[in-house]
Amino acid sequence: MTEASSNIGYAPELDETPPQPWAFWRTDTFQRLIRHRAFMVGAVLFAIVALVGALAPLITSVDPNALSIRNKFKPPSWEYPFGTDNFGRSQLSRVVYGARLSLGIGLGVLVLNAVFGVLLGAAAGYVRKLDGPLMRVADAFMAFPAILLAIGIAAALGPSSMTAVIAISVVYIPRTARIVRASVLVVREMEFVQAALASGATHYRIVRKHVLPNCMAPLIVQLSFIFAYAVLTEAVLSFLGLGAAPPAPTWGNIIAEGRTYMREAEWITLIPGIVLAVTVLSLNLLGDGLRDVLDPRLKVQQG
Amino acid sequence: MGRYILQRLIQAVPILALVSLISFSIMQLVPGDAATLIGGPSATPAELQAIRENLGLDKPFHVQLLKFYAGALQGDLGRSLLLGKPVLEATIERLPVTISISIYAMILTLFFGILAGVIAALRQNTWVDQTVMTFALLGVSIPNFWLGLMMIVLFAVHLGWLPSGGYIPWQTDLWGWFRTTTLAAVSLAVLQMGLLARITRSTMLEVLRQDYIRTAKAKGLPKHLIVGKHAMANVMIPVVTIIGIILSVLISGSVVIEAIFSIPGVGSLLGNAILRRDYPMIQGGLLFVAGSLMLMNIVVDVLYVYLDPRVRYDRGK
Amino acid sequence: MALAHIGKPAWIMASVAALALGSGGAEAQQFTCPKKGGDFVFGQQAKVNSLDTHTSAAASTRNIAMSIFETLLIRDENFAVMPNLAASVETSADGKTYVFKLRPGVKFHNGKPLTTADVVATFDRYKQMGIDRGMLAPVDKWEARDASTFVIHMKTPQPTFLENLSSFLVPVAIIPAENATAPAMQLPSIGTGPFELVENVADSHVKLKRFDGYTPDTRYNNTDGFAGYRVACVDTVTYRIVTEPGARVAGIETGGLHAVEDLPVTSQARLKENKNIVLTYLNNFWIQVAEVNISAAPTDNLKFRQAIQAVLNMDEIMESASDGAFRLNVGFQYPGQSQYTDAGKETYNQKNPAKAKQLLTESGYKGEEVVLLTNKDYTSMYNASLVVAEQLKAIGINVKLSVVDWPAAAQTWSNSATGWNLFFNASGNGPVQGPVQTIRQYAAPQSAYKPKTPADADKPFNDAFDEMVNGATPDIRKAAFARAQVRLLDQVLVLPFGALNQLQAVRSNVKNFRPYRIQRAANVYFD
Repeated sequence: MTEASSNIGYAPELDETPPQPWAFWRTDTFQRLIRHRAFMVGAVLFAIVALVGALAPLITSVDPNALSIRNKFKPPSWEYPFGTDNFGRSQLSRVVYGARLSLGIGLGVLVLNAVFGVLLGAAAGYVRKLDGPLMRVADAFMAFPAILLAIGIAAALGPSSMTAVIAISVVYIPRTARIVRASVLVVREMEFVQAALASGATHYRIVRKHVLPNCMAPLIVQLSFIFAYAVLTEAVLSFLGLGAAPPAPTWGNIIAEGRTYMREAEWITLIPGIVLAVTVLSLNLLGDGLRDVLDPRLKVQQG
Repeated sequence: MGRYILQRLIQAVPILALVSLISFSIMQLVPGDAATLIGGPSATPAELQAIRENLGLDKPFHVQLLKFYAGALQGDLGRSLLLGKPVLEATIERLPVTISISIYAMILTLFFGILAGVIAALRQNTWVDQTVMTFALLGVSIPNFWLGLMMIVLFAVHLGWLPSGGYIPWQTDLWGWFRTTTLAAVSLAVLQMGLLARITRSTMLEVLRQDYIRTAKAKGLPKHLIVGKHAMANVMIPVVTIIGIILSVLISGSVVIEAIFSIPGVGSLLGNAILRRDYPMIQGGLLFVAGSLMLMNIVVDVLYVYLDPRVRYDRGK
Repeated sequence: MALAHIGKPAWIMASVAALALGSGGAEAQQFTCPKKGGDFVFGQQAKVNSLDTHTSAAASTRNIAMSIFETLLIRDENFAVMPNLAASVETSADGKTYVFKLRPGVKFHNGKPLTTADVVATFDRYKQMGIDRGMLAPVDKWEARDASTFVIHMKTPQPTFLENLSSFLVPVAIIPAENATAPAMQLPSIGTGPFELVENVADSHVKLKRFDGYTPDTRYNNTDGFAGYRVACVDTVTYRIVTEPGARVAGIETGGLHAVEDLPVTSQARLKENKNIVLTYLNNFWIQVAEVNISAAPTDNLKFRQAIQAVLNMDEIMESASDGAFRLNVGFQYPGQSQYTDAGKETYNQKNPAKAKQLLTESGYKGEEVVLLTNKDYTSMYNASLVVAEQLKAIGINVKLSVVDWPAAAQTWSNSATGWNLFFNASGNGPVQGPVQTIRQYAAPQSAYKPKTPADADKPFNDAFDEMVNGATPDIRKAAFARAQVRLLDQVLVLPFGALNQLQAVRSNVKNFRPYRIQRAANVYFD
């Protein structure tokens, strides 16, 4: 369910043709993204969720953790658009601030994956001596059922937002590193890299100027899906009581706290679940669009 | 081929050793121990101490570690602290539960995933295509534990069609097994289904553009024969490659889904072992599951050779 | 009460049985099953570890194990001491010898008759690994005088010894001698109870069936507490583990479960409408408390602790903890219990922010962080902590909630005097068994309130507690308890919030199922 490999783990292995040099700011790419309908739908949906999270204090003045026991279990109404929970907390506030936390955790995972995925992947792909050991360690991490690894790490570090970021990152970094490594392996053997080496360019320069830019396409596609998985996995961890420490209003926490009252106050679990699904959906659409435009060769394997 | 399999098996050994070391390091960091669960909230500090002594939890960690490895080398994965039985026995008696549900979910995934993908491909760019693909996209976006909860409310609580949880073994009552596992299997299958539908659709589109399919069309072969025989054979290749991944994802998913539906499977066993600090159970159980998954992947890779004649592991290695 | 009499040193050579018969005789006729047969399915909330009741103190273990195992002495419906496998117990004049006679005709599930050899072996195992083996500390030795006479010799007399021995917290369940070498958590489930084990599928269910060789205790007419006249009317009992509250509600509504524990109170109104369901309350399920750490600042300051005590609004705390199923309660016993006292009530539920702020100023509080250590596994503790946090913030205390899971929280509390100021806990099976069982964790050397050194342990409290255990008469012990309670409250060494009730339900075709601290399957039948 929350496993990046299901979507990406195997694809780059089939990569046998060298990727095209690519730069994000190329107008052509940008134009094609704009014209990609799925991408735009995803982008707009995601922008809405992200804006809501960013502007949470402007959207609601109610503290998401403020208790109001007299107002408990109020169904959605004009006063409480998303109803209240067993403590009388405004669910609108909780869901809105939840966007901030859940997306923040997703972003944290994305950054850690970008940094460590690239570092480890490039090291493994470019330095032959490191390749074996690094990939064996990656294999070991990937041999765990993903959620069990995340649960274990989260339990070890104790519940907090940072814990969730680290636990989820550890699960996905080996997968990101593998993708980067696969691209690097291909690029390394290409003529222009060999030519640069022959002409005496430093390794650092070669990696920075030639190798990394050529890995960007699959990396960005991977990261957009990682973001989606991170948001989902965070919800699972929170649901198990191992994500951001309650009462922090992450969507997973809200669902977990509401499930006791599923029968009498279904809005508590229903609404954050829908918001969560829409967010993941928007990220998947974004990822699809990015993949179609940036890295069309991946399309065959990934649908 | 024999050499390839042997090679893969040998490669698995150091990886499993690493797996075990990683899980042990993690468990060393986890605060809290099983004594607090055996004691419950009324236990006094003195009682907790008595429980720790009973279980050997008062011994230093490296002593416990050495004891585990000494046993593991002799094929003894230790004894669960909480269940009072050997780890291997506890895991194996749960296997039929998780495997049967995984197979159920796998069948749902393969059937509906491929069907949806093929239909969408054949009706490319029509409303059928778009509807099917929208659902596929929803499938990969809905958190499955939430879906499970919602289905309990709908099918068990409101409609009363299915039980809200529990498990009846298929060996004793097949119908009961269907009733108790359907919601769980669907929750598990939805994500994979969406994924598979998307993969099948694009593979199918690719295949339909190939020369030999065009030739077959030109020769006037009926469409169902072209799709059913020629195209499907090619669609199966990427499907088989991801079966191993699907299995791993199912095991992963079963941790939460089994908990929600009160199903006594391997997923909930291991998830609980972590949450309840049952160190030997985590160590031994994880080693067993990781080993089994790696074995499955080797089987899948071998199977792959038979399906795709272009792949030969022996050559060039 | 029987208990009061046992304790009297002047009370010589009288048997518990004679007295206990009085309470058992409340019903005129001996119970017979109006109908026999069926599978009684109980929805249990907590997962079962091992059924080894010597080495697992979890309620989930006891709930099931007490239908399989029996003890010499146990507690009756009102938690007073009553005999079970003991036909009688005689206390010597000097209080140093207890002579137990075994009930004749009792057999184990393996067909073997019960003899004192089994009792000796049981005590040997319990002494070695029983969780409450501490209670055997004042015992010198035990022996089998003959096949039906078991004798315990004390080092020093302890008036409350039989009270401790009959505790059901970690019961001294009598097992066959050949099983006494079983390691911790691995005891085979062979006892003398009315039901025997069929299978225990972890995380799924435990199935028991009627033990045909059972010899009911004919001194009684019906079940009484954990014992009494017990017969198995149903063929089998299935304890199904249903951890999701919503699933337990659904189970009792659809009839898939015949009885359930720990229902969400929010479902009460709807369940009441259902003619097929009878709702029952297990009153006084536990006392909700916060343990206090007196070595970590700022709760090392008495004035500061009193400020916390002064502001707390117990109505709100208990309302949230229990979703409304609670009763305000002072101290550590429930009204109606023989040693209940509301001494110290002026410290309870003051709801006085002005006084609290005044105390806060006097304490010299400068905004140091106060860590509330709580967990999500026990919803009532989590809910209580959120409300306490809110109330403390309102008077300007810098509160930090630390929400971890139960194992992490409980271990931090039991092993560490840093990293927490208040720990949210509950006192479950202690209060019904008497004050000693409830507050023993505050007595030295355990001192759950974490004095900096053993010398800092509260002396007046420990003196009072000592008298609670060793006081010569019940009156002396009761007065000592009142003093101990006042001391705990005055010094704010623990904050009791109130009594939490638990909602249970049973299908209306299930008869003779009465709420109790364990689910009793004996004498339950289907109509």
